[in-house]
Amino acid sequence: MGKVKKQKERTFLQDLLNFQGSLNGKSKFLDEVRLKGAEEVRNIPFPTKKLEDWKFISLRDLYKDSYELASDLDVEVPDLSEHYLPESKGARLTFVNGSFSAEHSSTEDIPEEVLIGNIAKLAEEDNDLLKEHLNKYVENNFEEDVFSSFNKAFLKDGVFVYVPEGLTVDVPLHMLFVQTDADEKYFTTSRSVIVADKESEVTIVEDHIGLGDNKYFNLPVVEINAEEESYVKHTKIQRDSRESIHIARTAAFVHHHANYESYTITRGAKLSRNEPRISQRAEEVEFTVDGLVLIDGDQVSDTHSVMDHRFSHCESHQLHKCVITGKAHSVFNGKIFVRKDAQKIDSFQENRNLLLSRKGLVNTKPQLEIFADDVVCTHGATVGQLEEDELFYLMSRGLNEQQAREMLIYAFALETIENISVDSVQDLLVDEVHRFTENQLDSKLTV
Amino acid sequence: MLEIKDLHVCVEEDPSEKILKGVNLTINEGEIHAIMGPNGSGKSTLSKVVAGHEAYEVTQGDILYNGESILELEADERAHLGIFLAFQYPVEVPGVTNKNLLRQAYNTIAEEQGREELDPLQFEDHAREQLKLIDMKEEFLERSVNAGFSGGEKKRNEIFQMAVLQPKLAFLDETDSGLDIDALKIVANGINELSGEDNAVVLVTHYQRILDYVQPDHVHVMIDGKIAKSGDKDLAIKLEEEGYDWLSEGASVL
Repeated sequence: MGKVKKQKERTFLQDLLNFQGSLNGKSKFLDEVRLKGAEEVRNIPFPTKKLEDWKFISLRDLYKDSYELASDLDVEVPDLSEHYLPESKGARLTFVNGSFSAEHSSTEDIPEEVLIGNIAKLAEEDNDLLKEHLNKYVENNFEEDVFSSFNKAFLKDGVFVYVPEGLTVDVPLHMLFVQTDADEKYFTTSRSVIVADKESEVTIVEDHIGLGDNKYFNLPVVEINAEEESYVKHTKIQRDSRESIHIARTAAFVHHHANYESYTITRGAKLSRNEPRISQRAEEVEFTVDGLVLIDGDQVSDTHSVMDHRFSHCESHQLHKCVITGKAHSVFNGKIFVRKDAQKIDSFQENRNLLLSRKGLVNTKPQLEIFADDVVCTHGATVGQLEEDELFYLMSRGLNEQQAREMLIYAFALETIENISVDSVQDLLVDEVHRFTENQLDSKLTV
Repeated sequence: MLEIKDLHVCVEEDPSEKILKGVNLTINEGEIHAIMGPNGSGKSTLSKVVAGHEAYEVTQGDILYNGESILELEADERAHLGIFLAFQYPVEVPGVTNKNLLRQAYNTIAEEQGREELDPLQFEDHAREQLKLIDMKEEFLERSVNAGFSGGEKKRNEIFQMAVLQPKLAFLDETDSGLDIDALKIVANGINELSGEDNAVVLVTHYQRILDYVQPDHVHVMIDGKIAKSGDKDLAIKLEEEGYDWLSEGASVL
């Protein structure tokens, strides 16, 4: 009986640790980080449905296969220029299967004072800023988390950005992570660290694209430090392959009078799990963690977020919108913590779901733990369908059913999209919404 | 133009809920009809059924438009034929501008009718012309459809849409309800400007107030799912003075 149980929890992921050695030798600093990560992975079990925070999804699809390290694969990289953002033509770092590609990157439009580079190179150079900030935020926000430890164990490359005091970076920074098609199932990971020093401003676009329909496991971890009076805008777009698994962590520190504004758009992957965890580090802080999920077929999208209010005077906002069709499944668990001395907190959280098919599924769970007494925390969740009256209104003006549905889904999604300040990103998202509505096979309303 | 013959309609989800119980109505080009009646009489439902709302099922009878039955046609197909419904509760569509919705609607209908489509600039000229009718400024075109509109603005938007789409048969479902006298005058003026020899307007209303501004050729009163009496403007005045009760008694006698 005991033996059978053990087999069920076994994954092939730990086997990858045997190949970890191939990464070592170029940076003592990273070697030590990876060693620590490997140790942690050996001591923390991989989650199953028995754990409260993982009970709504099944990781069987992740656990049942063995993977190769992406860095061991021989890949041919096609032309990537269609994925470039015109605003960031001189402000883009591209990674192919987790490895930096200088050929597809350019930093010529980025002000000199900004330190921007790929982590592998900066680690080789023993860069002090990198050593000061790497891991600081994820280790604080994610304790006993095997996936961030796994990312640590295989940490090799990613983006490091340091914006110095008082500098506003006008050009949006495009972090392009491309996952190629392949016959083998592979594991790819990246670590990115964005540090905005006092009174600085920066906009980043974190972009994950799968070129094929192949299965791979993508585990990106992003760390953000928004120092006093800084303003960090972070848009994450996930368009990984339809067969892939995307498990991500974002750990952010937001300091006095700083503002962290994030928008996460999920369209790809067979299974995606996003975990943004925002930590308020001082009084008078603002942060936004909005999301838009568009899923169909048999996709699963799970967002487990944490907004940790630790000091007085914080305004936080989370509007998480999901459009679900086919047999897709959306999970939302938004934790709001308000610590004992965190007074005058104004926290808004809403999960709105547009359920368009009979077989779609939504699990939504706000979780508030409030220990201060002078706070305003609103939370809400709705699950609805396209209203028959709304469809009739548009059709009575001459639009056919397809056009009407598209217009209503677009209107639903727009609230999130229109907040994104990079025009070409707005355009590509509008295209994604159009394609999404066109793809619907199960196009009848439920009753 | 429109012939409604012995129309029986029930709620699709619950066939035992019968709303229309044998409606007969003929509407010709160039006419303005008013349909009045107490709450629950079925007058709004009649409008929605003509426009093709799927929540209702026709169990008996027919609706002929220019001689042909439209019962099998979807709402958009009826719009392509030139049928328009001004909603009692116009729907909000945030994220879609008035301009974009109407341009797409206009061009879809034009395409179906074999008329010329308008490019964005041409359409804006056309739309701007109609704005004068409802006394709205140009920025109105850029606002999201009905989002954040007051009741009066929503009703004026319905008239605006009618002006832009130029339907042949327009049902206006309680377009006057909830309007103050100024808004009412604007709406009434719009209706008067838009109705001509080639089209027909059906005003569904609870109060006779709007009929002071829009002269109907025919007035019908619906009671309990049927047209109980037809007449002219005098009928409307009598209803205003005496209410609907005298008609119910009359109906049961029939």
